[in-house]
Amino acid sequence: MSYKIPMGPYHPGLEEPYKLDMICDGETVIDAKLHIGFNFRGIEHLAETRNYVQVIALMERVCGICSFIHTLTLCQSMEKLTGWEAPPRAKYIRVVMAELERLHSHVLWAGIAAKLMGFKTMFMTCFELREKVMDVLQAISGNRVNYSMNRVGGVNRDIEDPLALVKMVDDLEREMVKTVIPIFTTSKTALSRCAGIGVLTHEKALSCAAVGPVARASGINQDLRRDAPYAAYEEMQFEVPVQPDGDVKARLLVRALEILESCKILRQALTKMPPGELVHGDGKFNFLKLTGNPATSRVEAPRGEVLYSVSWREGSRNPARVHVRTPTFANMPAIRYMVMGARLADTPLIQASIDPCYSCTDR
Amino acid sequence: MSTVEIAPELLMSAEPYTEDHGVYWYNSDGLNVRELAKSMNAIGARFITITAYELPKNEGFRLEYHWDAAGRLLGFTFDLNGNEIESIYDLCEAVDWIEREVREGFGIVFTGRPYEPLLLRENDTAGVNMREVPVKVEVAQ
Repeated sequence: MSYKIPMGPYHPGLEEPYKLDMICDGETVIDAKLHIGFNFRGIEHLAETRNYVQVIALMERVCGICSFIHTLTLCQSMEKLTGWEAPPRAKYIRVVMAELERLHSHVLWAGIAAKLMGFKTMFMTCFELREKVMDVLQAISGNRVNYSMNRVGGVNRDIEDPLALVKMVDDLEREMVKTVIPIFTTSKTALSRCAGIGVLTHEKALSCAAVGPVARASGINQDLRRDAPYAAYEEMQFEVPVQPDGDVKARLLVRALEILESCKILRQALTKMPPGELVHGDGKFNFLKLTGNPATSRVEAPRGEVLYSVSWREGSRNPARVHVRTPTFANMPAIRYMVMGARLADTPLIQASIDPCYSCTDR
Repeated sequence: MSTVEIAPELLMSAEPYTEDHGVYWYNSDGLNVRELAKSMNAIGARFITITAYELPKNEGFRLEYHWDAAGRLLGFTFDLNGNEIESIYDLCEAVDWIEREVREGFGIVFTGRPYEPLLLRENDTAGVNMREVPVKVEVAQ
């Protein structure tokens, strides 16, 4: 006889509120239903009441982990409306910040995944690594969470000595190669909790239009940094890790390999950073190109594609509409297919394996 | 422009799209959203999102559908006279949540599919969160 197990919206296994109703047969999940909306803040509507400076600060609060990415995508959209282009140095600084954010997001996720596996020493190791990345983000921006780095046409702060950051990148990469990746890929504890668990098939990933590491772990070779480059990514050499298995282990591996690729990108951006201005012109602008179409920008966030669509009313200081499509909004429906057939005890780890952000999803 | 003309070879050329702000906009006049979804499926494009706009002066709504074709961002615009449009959920599973969200925010009904609350709870009113609702200000005498 089947029965329903409600997990959430407030549950010790979930860091943010959302609800998963699972229909179980014994210990096996046979179907599941997701409920979101517990973090709904009406940010898209609030954006219509903010001017073009305030809206940047507002959208930075969509997500606490990838706050830089949200302002980057918004500012890129607004730059399309102004007809501006960020100067080369600003583009490099954007790449550095975006990759540091990816590093701290992926290492944070690895720590949480380790904790959910019952592997708490690994959790501590990952968080120690993340702390080093957070220190660098703080040294650059003065902030640990909302960095306030982006503005329309460039960035607010310089990286005065980029080469000094290369050592941090080397240290982080060494620790990943020496400790984190071998443990996650060879430890029996980790493998027994990850291999063959929470499978999202290639076909299902395509039909759900999954993005980011979730898609790449199901064999979909897509990454906007390579396919539709923005900022200075066109000048960076890197690989896009893809794994075919679609299970938790594949998602873990993709993120671990992406950490190494981020280190590679960071090293290039820091050593080749060109001198020059941080912002286009004097920073004062008008929206010149009001063509009727909104300006849309996409960025590869740590969790996958973020899309901003921004339109402006002529003569107004406020946007007419700001629409945000976050990666978790695209990936979360796939959780249903990942938990179907799984053991109940594995479901917290399976849910965590997409690195969900409920604040982003609800906005 | 008929939907038959949306073919892979056309998709990768400059025409009949107009490139604007990095989006390849297709003239959607006379285009049926379901035929569009079938064409996108046929070329293996990935659905991204639907952006809804409330047009000024009660002129209705505009929906913009975005797909990704090998890194190229495609945009299709549909102007609605009323507040209904056919759902493409049965053709494209990925639209499920965004169709429900647009319904809740703007009150636009996607016909041909069941509705379940997404961001709202049971019995909450749809079509309020993102609509411009005139506020009656009563000044105390």
